[in-house]
Amino acid sequence: MDKVIAEKKKITRSNLITFAMVIIAYVIVEIMINTGNVSSLFKGLLVPLCIYSILAVSLNLVVGISGELSLGHAGFMCIGAFASSTWSMIMKSTSMPEGLRFFIAIVIGAVTAAFFGFLIGIPVLRLKGDYLAIVTLAFGEIIKNLVNALYFGIDANGLHFSLEDSMHLNMDGGTIIIKGAQGITGTPKNSNFTIGVILLLIVLFIVLNLINSRTGRAVMAIRDNRIAAESVGLNATKFKLLAFTISAAIAGVGGVLYAHNLSSLQALPKNFGYNQSIMILVFVVMGGIGNIRGSVVAAVVLTVLPELLRGLSDYRMLIYAVVLILMMLCTSAPSWIQYRERIMMSFGKNKKVNGKESN
Amino acid sequence: MAAMLKVDSLGISFGGLKAVDNFNVEIEKNELYGLIGPNGAGKTTVFNLLTGVYQPTSGQIVLGDDNITGLDCEAISKKGIARTFQNIRLFSQLSVLDNVKVGLHNRHEYSTLDGIFRTPKFRKIEREMDEKALSLLKVFDLDGFCNYKASNLPYGQQRKLEIARALATDPKLLLLDEPAAGMNPNETEELMNTIRLVRDKFDMTILLIEHDMKLVSGICDRLTVLNFGQVLKQGQTQDVLHDPEVVKAYLGD
Repeated sequence: MDKVIAEKKKITRSNLITFAMVIIAYVIVEIMINTGNVSSLFKGLLVPLCIYSILAVSLNLVVGISGELSLGHAGFMCIGAFASSTWSMIMKSTSMPEGLRFFIAIVIGAVTAAFFGFLIGIPVLRLKGDYLAIVTLAFGEIIKNLVNALYFGIDANGLHFSLEDSMHLNMDGGTIIIKGAQGITGTPKNSNFTIGVILLLIVLFIVLNLINSRTGRAVMAIRDNRIAAESVGLNATKFKLLAFTISAAIAGVGGVLYAHNLSSLQALPKNFGYNQSIMILVFVVMGGIGNIRGSVVAAVVLTVLPELLRGLSDYRMLIYAVVLILMMLCTSAPSWIQYRERIMMSFGKNKKVNGKESN
Repeated sequence: MAAMLKVDSLGISFGGLKAVDNFNVEIEKNELYGLIGPNGAGKTTVFNLLTGVYQPTSGQIVLGDDNITGLDCEAISKKGIARTFQNIRLFSQLSVLDNVKVGLHNRHEYSTLDGIFRTPKFRKIEREMDEKALSLLKVFDLDGFCNYKASNLPYGQQRKLEIARALATDPKLLLLDEPAAGMNPNETEELMNTIRLVRDKFDMTILLIEHDMKLVSGICDRLTVLNFGQVLKQGQTQDVLHDPEVVKAYLGD
């Protein structure tokens, strides 16, 4: 029992370190802002840092914990962004307090994304490996393109949808909220660094506690061996769907932050397309698959780095690709592993030799 | 004594191939029952039918008083059949302790929300699970390895861990699929003691598939011999093993 308690303490400590890192980073940045040591460029990066950290944690839940490769996470982010933004636009003219409105926006974003995650998960999670990746990729693109073509307005008669143009809405006065490819303009700018960090902490709390509970264990057991997991009475589909839905909800929260950080929101490939999904995956892979803290660190480093190397920003995706390939070679190619071990060995030898000499 | 497992004319066909046909067996409570036969005879298929991996095309399976024919894996596990696998299937990335705790999943419940918010219920039940899992590991002398990753255990102990995990589901019937595969004579000897221990300590009914005749003749009370998907012989271990037909099926003419 002592050993078990020691192990639990180790996990708790590791989780606390993750929270402490985020909080310390937040305090340092706040101090720097208040003393005026932060450039406006960097200030603009603060909320995206939170958004990408949240998305990286969200995807890590699917890729690392549930063991399925999803390439459609930008799609769930898109759903969260548009659902919450629509709500905020509708309620903007009412007297609802801003804080409450934004809180409800976050809930709406998460719930809508979770709903679509659930719907998409039902057929998609029957597939495995590469096939699942391809289908989620397709769903991500479908969502983005659908939203890109969607017109949505509200008037005295209620809600109007159209996939053709604003004329087909048959509006009787009222306001058009989503204008197809032009998206939503005028979303209130509610996101800020503090809210982003709070949401990141909440997400970390949920995900880390989930992993270290009965449910998380079941999800990981199914990842490691589905047949054995079913033989001890786990419902593999249910747990995979649960992880996928929670992950989609968290991605939706990232989308809410995103939508309320910019005044205009469009479903462009740049925002919610394939590249965005891949970028989130890069955060997860770089941070270590299944390593939640690593995801946050990787998301921060890889978001800040390109901005620091702004002159090279055209080559950003190129650099990502090269870095990814190098990482994979470094961790899996036998010749590279041998080379690494040789280097480690030579260090080890030196130590031993030194040890002997000192004797 | 009442039969713990009663299988009546069980069969499954894959297309035109009858992998198992008209399979009958009755296993008494607390019995150690052996299922043997040449490679490809359909032994593992019988296990897969009993545990719900395959749905039988004919016949029925009764466990205790429950008819469990046609249920899926999850339901059958809850009814009380647990199994191990021919090629070890552990949750390789989880710790030894967590492997057993996954086995306890359906016996010690709290909701996902309890887990996220670390409610008192979560703490209480997690502690219960830890204690239960450790006591199970202790039976197999694995409690010292509780924080090891399952894939880092030596082969023989992985086998034991698989049995411990199966027992964690609190089964009425334990199915062991070639538990001695890949073991040397010493390890087999130890395994025989472990299996006897499991039967006596947990008052367990055990059905096992095995090729190692030393193990089979050493611990099984009764045997069924399967050949080409059909029952060739059934009865007391020594009688069956010396039956000319059985010898012929194993050694050829």
